[in-house]
Amino acid sequence: MLQPNQAAIDANNLLHVCLLQPDIANRKYGPALATSLPAVELVGDSLSKLAYDIRPTAAWDNGRPVTARDVEFTLKLMFCPGLPNEVARNRYRFIRAVLTDLKAPQHFTLVCRGQALEYVEASGDFFILPEAAFDPRGQLRRFSLVDLQKRATTAPPDSALQSLAQRYQAAEAGHPGQVPGCGPYQLVKWEKDRYLTFRRKPQWWADRLQPVPIALQARPKQLDYVIIPDAATATLALRRGDIDVYPQIPAREFARLRASPAAAALNFYSTTSYDVVMAGFNTRRAHLNDALTRQALSRFFDAAGLLKATQLGDGQRTVGVISPIEKENYNDSLALIPFDPAGATALLRQAGWQRGPAPGTGWTRKSANGDLQQLRLAMRYRAEGSLFSTVALQFQAAAAGLDIPVTLQPTESGAFSSSLKAGDFDVYVGVRKGNPFMFNFTPVFHSLGIDAGNTTGFSSPASDQLIEAIAAADSKTHRSQLLRRFQALLQQEAPIVPLFFLPNRIVASRQLTNLHVGSLKPGFMATTIERVPKPSAAP
Amino acid sequence: MLWLGLVGLTALLAAALPLPYAPGVPDLAHVAEPPFGAGAHWLGTDALGRDVLSMLVFGARTAVLLTLPAAVLSTLLGALAGGAAGFWGNKARLAVPYWLLAGAGAWWAVRFPGVGVGLAVAAISLGWLFTSWWRKRELASWPVPVNSVVMGAATTLDTIPRLVLVVAVTAGTGVSVSGLLVLLTLTSWPHSARLVRAQMLRVRTLPFVEAAQAVGAPAYKVWLHHALPHALQPLRTALPLSIAGLLGLESTLSFLGIGLPPDVASWGRLMATVRSEPGAWWTFLFPTMCLIISMISLSSISQYRPSAASS
Amino acid sequence: MSRLVFWRLARAGLAIWTLASVVFLLSHRDAGAAVQEALAEVSDVQTDRTATTSAERLAAQAAVRERLGLNMPLFYISQGSNQQEPTWQWNGLHNQYHQWATGLLHGDLGTSYRNGQPVASRLGAALSFTLPLTGTAAVLAILAALALAQRLAASPWWQRPVRTLLVTVHALPLFVVALVLLLAFANPDAFAWFPAYGLDQPADVGSGTWSQIATYLMHMALPVSALTITAIPELTLQLDAALTQELHADYATTARAKGLDEGAVIRHHALRNALLPTLTQIAELLPALVAGAVVVEVVFALPGMGRLLAEAAAARDYPVLVGGILLTGAARLLALLLADLFYFWADPRIRWQS
Repeated sequence: MLQPNQAAIDANNLLHVCLLQPDIANRKYGPALATSLPAVELVGDSLSKLAYDIRPTAAWDNGRPVTARDVEFTLKLMFCPGLPNEVARNRYRFIRAVLTDLKAPQHFTLVCRGQALEYVEASGDFFILPEAAFDPRGQLRRFSLVDLQKRATTAPPDSALQSLAQRYQAAEAGHPGQVPGCGPYQLVKWEKDRYLTFRRKPQWWADRLQPVPIALQARPKQLDYVIIPDAATATLALRRGDIDVYPQIPAREFARLRASPAAAALNFYSTTSYDVVMAGFNTRRAHLNDALTRQALSRFFDAAGLLKATQLGDGQRTVGVISPIEKENYNDSLALIPFDPAGATALLRQAGWQRGPAPGTGWTRKSANGDLQQLRLAMRYRAEGSLFSTVALQFQAAAAGLDIPVTLQPTESGAFSSSLKAGDFDVYVGVRKGNPFMFNFTPVFHSLGIDAGNTTGFSSPASDQLIEAIAAADSKTHRSQLLRRFQALLQQEAPIVPLFFLPNRIVASRQLTNLHVGSLKPGFMATTIERVPKPSAAP
Repeated sequence: MLWLGLVGLTALLAAALPLPYAPGVPDLAHVAEPPFGAGAHWLGTDALGRDVLSMLVFGARTAVLLTLPAAVLSTLLGALAGGAAGFWGNKARLAVPYWLLAGAGAWWAVRFPGVGVGLAVAAISLGWLFTSWWRKRELASWPVPVNSVVMGAATTLDTIPRLVLVVAVTAGTGVSVSGLLVLLTLTSWPHSARLVRAQMLRVRTLPFVEAAQAVGAPAYKVWLHHALPHALQPLRTALPLSIAGLLGLESTLSFLGIGLPPDVASWGRLMATVRSEPGAWWTFLFPTMCLIISMISLSSISQYRPSAASS
Repeated sequence: MSRLVFWRLARAGLAIWTLASVVFLLSHRDAGAAVQEALAEVSDVQTDRTATTSAERLAAQAAVRERLGLNMPLFYISQGSNQQEPTWQWNGLHNQYHQWATGLLHGDLGTSYRNGQPVASRLGAALSFTLPLTGTAAVLAILAALALAQRLAASPWWQRPVRTLLVTVHALPLFVVALVLLLAFANPDAFAWFPAYGLDQPADVGSGTWSQIATYLMHMALPVSALTITAIPELTLQLDAALTQELHADYATTARAKGLDEGAVIRHHALRNALLPTLTQIAELLPALVAGAVVVEVVFALPGMGRLLAEAAAARDYPVLVGGILLTGAARLLALLLADLFYFWADPRIRWQS
């Protein structure tokens, strides 16, 4: 139900099946548990209906077919009180009702609030849980989805809901594999943060399909995921043949391995991912609330040098948050922001800043109400890894050359997220994970997202309108026009500085074929790998 | 000794030395370069492109500026607490009005209901003090368990290994240099307090202390002028060892990636970079040599002293 | 004697309870941040698709607080937030501290904020990795120190260089030793004799008990060596100094006068007395054993107590942190008790006094 990290997402994709699943190779959602993409029907101007059909062969391990009842149950579970489902609640709140049909148990219609192109993908990317396993007496059927969504936290506890929550947690506690799924694999061994071993079910419903679509292929008999915290150790394990695939391998290990004699037995893949390294300014701060100052400060980032130093040239620079590999949406008419401290000086003076006469006095300006502002920055970033600290040190050094003091605040990842939400930073460096399906920027750049996902606190009426228009766009061409305008607007306003898109590097043994390496997470498909009896992966 | 002098001198002059590269500036064109490589980095660069030589020099400065004050402060704190505990034991007495005054002050400070009550108690006790001082009358007194308080605090701190305690406190938030200084001071005083207390228990019974008490000198004067200077003897050996211990602790913390901010150069942090770049022996060898030589010099200093023979 | 021991234990127990309570109260003051993080951690991986209103966000936070029991007041009394006249109010038994304390008396350490597992089971799992590691290292170090100190005390020709070596090794921080071992013996560029990670990986199907034991030993070799190497010098130097002192005592001279050789004097007469100060040191090892060698576990990627506590601190997983502190404290109590018993056994003078 909640997917706290990539390893857990990968694991759940083996155990469970969603209605729709992304195809890594062609970067599109395709049907998995559903027979096809949903048929969309727009109702009035604020409702949409999406009609799905579940594959008739789809079945749970005990042979019972997967039905619309299970979909309804899964959605209701996301709003059942007493479960750690806060994030799922926010993500799937737009689904207001599930209309089922007694005569066609595998047909159902989702009623959604609002209208958007991306509802097609968004309405089908959660995995389905069996109602019979958790709620054999159908107690949840007494509540409608809207009832549960609107249920106040102060409402008196309901014994049926409580016992359901307890059963679900008991099943999930300590062993995610105990939650029964209709996926091709079973979790046979598991230790948190260490390893996961999956075994292929001998009989799986999708084996009866002709032909088996890529999303439902499950070739390896056993899959071992081991989590090796140290890059050098993981490389050693790969060289020894202990593991066969090493995804997300760091740049230097990748280069060293490629130059070593061991390269003869390995395949090297590198694609551009959808994860963009970027910096963000806290526009709520008085000294950062004007676009000129932010544009000036963006010129202190040496994106080209950083890309070369940290990724050894792989990856791609970008003008905005849309990946350059998305050709139709990427705004290629914009220029990349240069590393240009001299130009930054001119921009700072335009923004009203005065450099003090003596070195060490820094930059000051008078604000509209007469306060004296000092240009000094606190920069927050995640403490782990060397990527963010290299960016931070480079920025600090460049700014120090112009007498702008920058304090570095490396922060543990949990504390980092909450500091960002609380607005406790001037500049932050981070990675924004993206995908080619989602174009609703409301949580991250709209004024509605301020104090939540909109960490920079940036908003303007023009950008709000543009974001709403993108979310509601009725055709892809119209949407990509709007997206190009949005990228130009973001570059002009500079609440964020997109530096570059990270590469997605994978090294795999030569003995493996059919990895379907692609830009989407996790970068390859484990389920289609062929030939070697026991493939393993080390995230 | 020579080495320690050199480290101290480097630390003082770090900012003035003619280094080709500044310590915190990454050289993006030359990342993880071996010594005497293309970028004219004499001792090479680390995985982030920082110059190893200037990191060493500024790391020395951090080591001196952090561990020396922390060791001195914690020794001082330990000496005072341990000295008081050893000298007075649980038998120190404080006149009742002072107790009342302190209680009333605390009452007012935490704003318990009825501020008036606290003020009234304070006024009464002040009046009591004043009249007794006026009439030269002996005041009733209650004992202060100095020994129990000090030793209790020391035991509480000692319950958990120091590294775990410091990690627990720093890891969540990350602290500044001065914050780390305070933290190290507060967690390292019990050792010197125990040493001084043990010595004080012996010194207290020596003839010259008893003589001073017999002359009628006030207790705190006897403590400060006669007893304490002699009770501090074990600290001569303990101080260099304490510096060495703190040096080790600081580099361990930096190695684990907690404690000091990242733009503060530190030997431990430099050593830690070898884990992301196992081929870069130069980022490990040089700081390790510096650290080991410093610690051996410190422990040999503590043994040069004649009084160290017995410990 | 038993009364003395009882009072010492009672005092130490009080100290542990105080420390755990202080950490509990200090940490739970900003449990709000922990809640934020529990939410942020998850939403961080996948970007939200739809915007949430602030009412929905507040509701989500309230739900988390409810689930973690953080909606109750912290302590029996609390200061009201009235700005004009701060007031104190009595919260009764329905507060977090009381819940925690009563849970503790029933052996319930609470559940982790991060993954909802019971704290006790996480500590147990970590201990099962840490205790064999540190226990072996401690036993090896003690045995080595005993053997080495006895030979050193007989003043062989190698006394001086070995003492210098011990002092040098004593100066090394643990992480340096561990890193040197790792870089030298588990490095494909040097000697890849030992594995550097993976003590906890799934054993290959079909491998027998013996090969499993062999794998286990291979994994443990380097961490145990690192711990042993750093523990030996202190114990040996201490024991050596004590032995040298005892050998100058009158009874040792008498023994020599009886015609015993030096080895026999050391073994039968001096050693027992010289062991007394070392016993305290050995007893001090126990809490350190439980807390685990944070450094070694980080360097060799072992999932033990030290790393658990360090990570819990970093992630502000307070129930785990407080649980770990309590456990370490309990080990401390046990160590005190053992030290007293050892003294009782080793020093007849104490027995006569009581």
